[in-house]
Amino acid sequence: MDDTTPVARSAISPAPPEIVVACWAVSGRRSTGALTLTDASPLAKVAVRADPDGELAQALGVRFGRTSRRTDALDSVGTDVLVVGSGPGEWLALGAPGRQLALTEQLRGLLERRGRVSGAASAELVTVVDLTHGRALMRLTGPAAAELLGRECAVDLTDAACPDGSALRTAVAGLATDVIRDDWDGTSSYLLHCERSSGQYLFDSLLDAGTELGVDVDGFTTPSARDERRTMYDF
Amino acid sequence: MMLIPCPWCGPRDAAEFAYLGEPAPRPDPTAASPEQWRGYLYLRHNVAGPGTERWYHRMGCRRHLLVERDTTTNEVRPHRSHVGDES
Ligand SMILES: [Zn+2]
Repeated sequence: MDDTTPVARSAISPAPPEIVVACWAVSGRRSTGALTLTDASPLAKVAVRADPDGELAQALGVRFGRTSRRTDALDSVGTDVLVVGSGPGEWLALGAPGRQLALTEQLRGLLERRGRVSGAASAELVTVVDLTHGRALMRLTGPAAAELLGRECAVDLTDAACPDGSALRTAVAGLATDVIRDDWDGTSSYLLHCERSSGQYLFDSLLDAGTELGVDVDGFTTPSARDERRTMYDF
Repeated sequence: MMLIPCPWCGPRDAAEFAYLGEPAPRPDPTAASPEQWRGYLYLRHNVAGPGTERWYHRMGCRRHLLVERDTTTNEVRPHRSHVGDES
């Protein structure tokens, strides 16, 4: 099967024209607007739960409320993985489209590899679950991103309280949503992660709230689909 | 808007939480009388003034927490058991 056959759809219906990226049916729309909203659901999403002070927490090296982009052995092909400290003893690992199974195996193997180095088997209870098709993920990018997000949620999004690399879970448009600040090229950018069944609603409500800020839908893309330049979806 | 001080997430809008009320010790299910169960399930002190309450941060860290709230003024403070562990 070639790369142009769609085998997956996100919860958010793609703005026309519909194209296929990494086997996902996505929007091929390209926006040059200053404030853009992109359905980033094709990214691999893997949830990890473990003792917040345990060995896996140490191996991940990300505490609750922070993120870390790593290119090391977490993914064997060397693509970036964004590890998000999404809750106390909870992490969310985001990777390139299609990498969810590899990423799940890598995360499961983290403790074993540590055990082999230290010579001690770990008794820690850890769960690693692939959530890729069960969740919606979108990215809001632009200087006015915080202003738009501020209309939908009641947390302090100033740079002092929520700098680049912050992660928090809060109500956005009344939905429990992970808000992950992940700036790109010096521009404010937020990843929003919620239940799949709420994805379309959250997407639409952000477009609605951002109408006079000029928010525009930008399609999902990977570096190979565009050019050699790294893009913010090049996980 | 009422702010609830979550020991994990900091102050958050009360709408993000589920209110679980006065904490009460759960009776031993094998030894408790029906009257004791009824009291545990339904009876509350409902003080007018400061009291301890359990809340659940359902839209945030998904942890249970205790706060002290004055029911006449809605002044909310972190419970003494959480004071100091706010990061
Ligand atoms: Zn919390």
